[in-house]
Amino acid sequence: MSAAAGAAAAAGTSQPPVQPVKLSLPLVYQQKLFEELRAEDELVVLARGLGLMRLVTNLLHSYDAAGGNLIVVVGADDRENAWIGEALAEHAAISMTPRARGLTLVNTESASVGAREKLYAAGGIFSITSRILVVDMLTGMLNPESVTGMIVLHADRVTATSLEAFILRIYRQKNKAGFLKAFSDNPDPLAAGFSPLAATLRNLFLRKVSLWPRFHVHVAQSLEGKKKAEVVELEVPMTESMRAIQNAVMECVEVSIQELKKGNPGLDMEGWNLDSALLKSFDVMVRRQLEPNWHRVSWKTKQIVGDLTVLRGMLRSVLALDAVSFLQQLDTIHAAHAPAPGSARQTQSPWLFLDAAETIFSEAKRRVYASAQRPGPDASIDALRPVLEEQPKWAVLADVLDEIDRDLLLEPPARDDSNGTILIMCSDADTCRQLRDYLQTMHVKPRVENKVEEFYDPERDRPSAAFMMRRKLRSYLRWKREFAQVSAQLFAENQRAVSGAVDPRLGRRGPPPSKRRRVRGGGAVGAGAGPGRLENGSIAQYFEKPGEVAELMAEVQITAGEDKEEEEGLEAVRQRDGAAADPLEDMDDYYRLYDMQDLVVIHPYEGDQDEHVLEEVRPRYIIMYEPDAAFIRRVEVYRSSHNDRNVRVYFLYYGGSVEEQRYLSAVRREKDAFTKLIKERASMALTLAADAHGAADDPQEAFLRTLNTRIAGGGRLAAPAATAQPPRVVVDVREFRSPLPSLLHGRGLVVVPCMLTVGDYVLSPTVCVERKSVGDLISSFKDGRLYAQCEAMFQHYRHPALLIEFDQNKSFTLEPFADLSGSAGSVSAAHAGAADLQGKLVLLTLAFPKLRILWSSSPYESAEIFERLKSLEGEPDPVAAARAGLDGDEAEGAPSQRPGGAAPPAFNPVPQDMLANVPGVTPNNMASIALEAENIKEVANMTEDELGPLVGREAARKICGFFAKDLLEDG
Amino acid sequence: QALPPAGGGGRGSGSSILVSPRQKGNPVLACLKSVPWEYSDIPADYGLGSTTCALFLSLKYHRLHPEYIYTRIRNLQGRYNLRVLLTLVDVPNHEDSLRELSKTSLINGVTVVLAWSAAEAARYLELYKAYEHAGFAAIRGQQAEGYAERLVGFVTAPRNINKADAVALVSSFGSLRRAVNATPDQISAVSGWGEKKVRAWCKAVEEPFRVRK
Repeated sequence: MSAAAGAAAAAGTSQPPVQPVKLSLPLVYQQKLFEELRAEDELVVLARGLGLMRLVTNLLHSYDAAGGNLIVVVGADDRENAWIGEALAEHAAISMTPRARGLTLVNTESASVGAREKLYAAGGIFSITSRILVVDMLTGMLNPESVTGMIVLHADRVTATSLEAFILRIYRQKNKAGFLKAFSDNPDPLAAGFSPLAATLRNLFLRKVSLWPRFHVHVAQSLEGKKKAEVVELEVPMTESMRAIQNAVMECVEVSIQELKKGNPGLDMEGWNLDSALLKSFDVMVRRQLEPNWHRVSWKTKQIVGDLTVLRGMLRSVLALDAVSFLQQLDTIHAAHAPAPGSARQTQSPWLFLDAAETIFSEAKRRVYASAQRPGPDASIDALRPVLEEQPKWAVLADVLDEIDRDLLLEPPARDDSNGTILIMCSDADTCRQLRDYLQTMHVKPRVENKVEEFYDPERDRPSAAFMMRRKLRSYLRWKREFAQVSAQLFAENQRAVSGAVDPRLGRRGPPPSKRRRVRGGGAVGAGAGPGRLENGSIAQYFEKPGEVAELMAEVQITAGEDKEEEEGLEAVRQRDGAAADPLEDMDDYYRLYDMQDLVVIHPYEGDQDEHVLEEVRPRYIIMYEPDAAFIRRVEVYRSSHNDRNVRVYFLYYGGSVEEQRYLSAVRREKDAFTKLIKERASMALTLAADAHGAADDPQEAFLRTLNTRIAGGGRLAAPAATAQPPRVVVDVREFRSPLPSLLHGRGLVVVPCMLTVGDYVLSPTVCVERKSVGDLISSFKDGRLYAQCEAMFQHYRHPALLIEFDQNKSFTLEPFADLSGSAGSVSAAHAGAADLQGKLVLLTLAFPKLRILWSSSPYESAEIFERLKSLEGEPDPVAAARAGLDGDEAEGAPSQRPGGAAPPAFNPVPQDMLANVPGVTPNNMASIALEAENIKEVANMTEDELGPLVGREAARKICGFFAKDLLEDG
Repeated sequence: QALPPAGGGGRGSGSSILVSPRQKGNPVLACLKSVPWEYSDIPADYGLGSTTCALFLSLKYHRLHPEYIYTRIRNLQGRYNLRVLLTLVDVPNHEDSLRELSKTSLINGVTVVLAWSAAEAARYLELYKAYEHAGFAAIRGQQAEGYAERLVGFVTAPRNINKADAVALVSSFGSLRRAVNATPDQISAVSGWGEKKVRAWCKAVEEPFRVRK
C-alpha cells in the first residue's frame, strides 16, 4: 500500500467510521470511550479490570477493517500481542471485512531486514519490539511518514529517556498527520512525583488525557445497574500459629526498616513504615530513595533492602503455602542467608538476630511437627509427632463447594446462558496446584480403619487435608535429609570459618551412626525447642538428629493399608473425575469433573487474560480464593455485559491478615492516584507545542544550531558544504537499550544504527567510544571483557576512549569503591587481582596509555560531551565502522556491510553470562564452545572427551566436573 | 598497542614517587602513606615511573585559572608515555569544566582520572607507582572462586533468579547437570520457583548461544 493511500486513510479518521464494523463493546462507557478515541488523540487511563485490551482490539479492528493503513502498536508484551492477534482475526471473521489483514508481529526472531522492508510496504497492523522499531525508523526502512497511526500500550512506562519516547519523537518530527493514542491501566506511577501527568503527556506528544476510574459516572452506571453480581464475603480466621508467624515477620520488617532509617539518616523516609511495607511497590520505593546514593550506602543497608524482599515474600507465603511447604521455604531461605566466610556479626542480616526470627522458625516447625513427651522411663528423650496444621481456607473452600452442591441439587438452575461451572481463582499456579491436590484428596483418609466406607459417617466424611499433608511431610523429610547434605557441602566451609573448629551443628548433622550416641548426649538443643544460636548470635539452622527423623518418618510412614489406599484413593478420585477432560493442560489450567455435570476450574489471576477465562468458562459460581480488586471489576464487567448470565461470587480472605490489608490499601491507592490525576488535569497548563528536548521541529534549523561559530565563524562545516550533512554518530544497535542514542538524537545529531563489532559509538573516523556504566565497568573488569574491547579498539581507531557514565540519579563519584585503608598490602603489585576499582583503572591506563577516559555524570552529560568532541573532526563512515573488527571473509558478508542492517547481536547475552561462570571457561575459549555447542543444555551434557578438542583437556575436566558434581552423593 | 610494563632505567625508576616542589602544601601529600615519596625537580607534578607522570588539577583552581593546565601540559613536551591528569572534583558544578577537560584530553593526549578526595587522589598516585611493573592479568579476566559462588553465579545469570533460588534448585536436583536437564514441571515443584523463574531458567538453558540470522 502506498504512502499516499496511508495518508488518505489517516485523513479519513476525522469522518465517522462508515464501514460496517461489528464491535464487541456492550457497555455504555466502553462505547463512549471508543467514540472519543476515534475522534481525538489522547492518553487513556483506565482503572484496572475495566477491559483495556478489549477497547484496544476493537479500536484496532475498526482501522484494520478500513484497510490501507499502516498502524504500529508500541510497547505490547508477548501475551498482549497474542491477544491482539487473536482478537483481530476473530473480529475480522465476524464482521467479514475482506480488507482486514490482522496483526503482524515483528521481533528479533521473526523477520530479517529484507523481509521486514516488504512487510512494512504491505501495510496492516504491526506490533514491533521497540528496539527494532527505533532502528528501522532511523534507517528509514520504516518511513515515519507512511505510518497512519501509533498505539502506545503501557503509557505509564514511557519516560523522557525511554525508547518509546524516542520512537514517538521520530514519528512526530516526520509525521504530523498520523494519529497517536496511548493507553495505561496503571495510574499509580502517573501520580507519583512532581506534575507527573504533564511530563508523561509531553513524552507522549499528546495534549489530552482521558481518565476512567471505577467511580467515573458512566462506568458506575454501566456496572451498577440491575444486573449486579451476587457477592458472598467470607472472612476466614487465621490459626494461632499463622498469626504468630505473621506478627513475628512484621516485627522483623519493622526492625529492618528502623535499621535502614538509622543507617541512612539523610534520606527522606517519610513513607517507610509498616503499612507501606506491605505494598508491592515498596521495594521499588526504597530502592528509588537509595539509588542516588547507592554507591555510598553501607553493605549492611544493601543487605537489609534485600532482606525486606525476603521478609515480604514470607508474609505472602505464610498465607499461601501449606505448613510443610512453608517450612521448606524457610529452610532454604535460612541456608541462603548463612554467613559468608569469615564474616562477623555485622555482616549478617539483622532480622536473624531477633527473637521474632526465632518465633518464625519455631512456629513454622510447630505447625508441622512437635515434640511429644514419651511416657515411661525414657521421658528425657523427646519424640516427634506430626502436627500438620491445615490452612483454614481449605475447610471453608470445601464448605463452599458443598453449599454450591446442595444449591444445585435443591433449586434447579434458572435457565440462562451460564455453564454450571465453578471457577476458583487464586493468585498463582502454585496455589492452583495446592488446591487441586487438596480437592482431589480431601475425602481420602490416611487411616486403615477408615477403609470401610460403606457406613456413612458424617464426622469421618468431613473433608480434611490429612492425606495430602502426610504425603507432603514424607517428601519434606526426604528432601530435608538431602538438603542437609547439600547445604553442608555448599556452606560448611563458611560455617567452619565462622565458628572455629568446634561446630555443634556439624557434629549433630554428621551421619556416621557410630557417633550418634555421643551426639545425642551432647545435643544441647532439644527437638521442639527453638533453633540454636550460632556462636555469633545468629540463628543456627536446625537439623534433626537422625534418630528423631527416623521416628518422625515412622510416624507418618505409609501404614500397610495406606499405601494401597493411596493408590486406590487416587484411583477412585480419578474415576470420579471421569475422563480427565483437560484440553488446557498446557496452560497450567486444571479442569476436573466434580459432579458429573459440574466442572471445577482452578485458575490463577493473570491480568487481562482473566476476561478470556470468564468468557470461555461462563461460570455460574466464582470462588475468589484470594482477593483481587481488578478481578472483581472484571466480574462486574462480565456480568453487566451479559443479560442472561447469573453469577454468584464467593470472596475468601483471612481476617486481620496482611492479605486483607494489602487488598484494601491497593484499592485505596488506586483511588487516590486517580483523584490526584484528576486534580492535576484540572490545573494543567496546556502549552505543549514545544518538543520534549528542545530539538527544533525544523531539521535545518537544528543543524544550524549545531554549527560551532567559534571555529571559523561556523564556516568550518559550511565550507565543505558540498557534502553538508548534519553531524552524525554511528551507534551500535545494542546500545539502543541505553538512553544515550535517544538523547543524541534529541540534540539534533543524526544517529546511524549499525551492527558494530568494535566500540559502541563512533564519533569520527578516528574517535571510537566504549560506553560503560559503573556496574558494567566493574563486571567487565572482572571477566576481562574491557581489556579485550580496548585491544580491539586500538586495532581499528587512532583515538579510542572509554566513557564512564554514571546514572542520572546516582552519586557522581567512584570514591566509595576505593580501598582507602592505607595498608601496605592494598598497594602491593602482587595483589593486583584483588584490587579495588581504582587499582583496576590504574592497570587499564598503564596497559593502554593512549586510552582516553571520558567521565560523565549522566547520559545527558554524555550527549553534551559527544557533541563537543564531534566538533573536532569529520564525520564517521558507517560502512567502515561496521566492518571494523570483522574477519576478512566475514567483512565481505552481506549483513554487516549494510549500514542500516540492524542485524541482531551475534550472541545471546544470558547464556553467555552463564557460561562465563563455569570454571574452565575463559573469554578466549568461550567463542569456540559457543560455535560448537548449541546451548547451555548441550554443554552441560557433553563429556570430557567431547569438550577436550574445543577447550583443552584441563578446561574440559573442569567444565565437566562443574556440571556433574553431585551434592547428594559425594562428600 | 597494549604496552608491556616498562622495565627500569632512567629517571623515576626508583621505588619512590617523585614530587615536584610545586606541590608543597597539597593535602594529597599528607595522604601518601603506603609508598615513599621525595621532592625532585621534574616538569610534571608527580613522577610515577619512567614512562608515567601525573599533573594535579583541582577543579576549583581550574575555574579561576583555566589557562594554567594547558601551559603545564605544553611544558611536558610530550615526554612521558602515559600522562595522567589527576583531577580533584571539589566543586559541585563540575559539568562544564569536565566537558572541556574531556576535549582537551583528546586533543593533547592526556588521560583524565577523577578523584573526589585528597585521599582518593593519593591512592591513585600510590597505585600508579606500585603497579609500575605489574602484569595485567588482574584485568584480563580471572577465575578464582569456589564452587558455591560459581554455582550461584551460574544459576542467577538470568534475571529474576536469586541466590535462595539457586540453593533450592541444586538442593532438589543434586547436581547442576540434572537441574539443566530438568523439565519445567519438575522445576516448578522446587519451592520458591514460580512460573516466571521457571520460564526464565528454561529459556536461558535452551537459548542458543548464537543468534540465528
